[in-house]
Amino acid sequence: MDWSTLPWDKIFVIVTVLVAGPGIIAGIAVPAIGQAIVALSGLKAISRQPEAGDRINSIVLLSLAMLESLAIYVLAVMLILVFANPMRSFILGN
Amino acid sequence: MKKINKKTLTLGLVIIAVIAMAVISFEIRSRIGFEPTPVSEEIAPQTVFTVGTVEVTTTVVNTWIMIVVLGFASYWLGKSFKVRPNMLQNAIEWLKEAIEGIISQNIDWQNTALFFPLIATLAIFIGVANLLGLLPGLRSPTPDINTPLAMALIVFVSVPYFGIKTRGLGRYLKHYVEPIFLMLPIEVASEIARTFSLSFRLFGNIMGEEIIIAILFLISPFILPVPMMLFSIFTGVLQAYIFTLLACVYIGGAVKAHQS
Repeated sequence: MDWSTLPWDKIFVIVTVLVAGPGIIAGIAVPAIGQAIVALSGLKAISRQPEAGDRINSIVLLSLAMLESLAIYVLAVMLILVFANPMRSFILGN
Repeated sequence: MKKINKKTLTLGLVIIAVIAMAVISFEIRSRIGFEPTPVSEEIAPQTVFTVGTVEVTTTVVNTWIMIVVLGFASYWLGKSFKVRPNMLQNAIEWLKEAIEGIISQNIDWQNTALFFPLIATLAIFIGVANLLGLLPGLRSPTPDINTPLAMALIVFVSVPYFGIKTRGLGRYLKHYVEPIFLMLPIEVASEIARTFSLSFRLFGNIMGEEIIIAILFLISPFILPVPMMLFSIFTGVLQAYIFTLLACVYIGGAVKAHQS
């Protein structure tokens, strides 16, 4: 089989999209569960001790931001894959 | 016959106006054969002019516009303050007190005035920069990676600055090796990693928002982007708040008070 006759540009686009779709699902679902746990614990803590609400609030927001950055990393990687893949010229040869 | 509620009437009028604008825009598009630009070009900053080998992009121009407007607005507002506040002055004072509250909660140091200029500048700059894209003709500077990276580098430099200023050089350097000296590489790595995480969080959030708005704009202008743009106000302000909070926490970790 002659490999050079295959439509590499189409294969490249198809593979990119096939990777980016499930990848962003996996990368967002896991931090979402973590954020849900954080929000739930914050809610429980505030309902037990409403007077500590301000302090708990800022800690919860902080941890949510930390967890959100994981999802953001996945988003950045997938955006690079779809829009500005550095491997494009390597595989397709300009 | 029932009397129509005034709110319902207004809501109906707004919906009718939006649908009419959408229909008109579709008509105009089909008449002139408008080809939407690709999303990647809509998001990426374009070069306006070049000075030598330096390319001045739309990001920089929009930042200049923002700086000029904010500077003149602060000068004018500072002159117009009175003993009895009006509505605008109340809002500004609320903002100042909110930022002071963030500082005093997270930085354990007696006077907040030491940190206030930096933190307030970061908060106002990022908040306005995130909301700038809502104005027609302007683009927000934050979806370009250079602006959040510059902000994060400012925080990265200011952490040792405030640490040395408040605790002295020796005691600041000592906190790197506080329990045992094995903590040194971990501390240094975490300082570098959190700078990147700070910039990528801001960049990714605003960038994702802009891309969603651009994609919805391709599908259907005037109807679908509006709720997303309203939501982007919330996201922009929330990201500015989180950036400010994290900057305060990082600086507070370096200052960490005088154990009396």
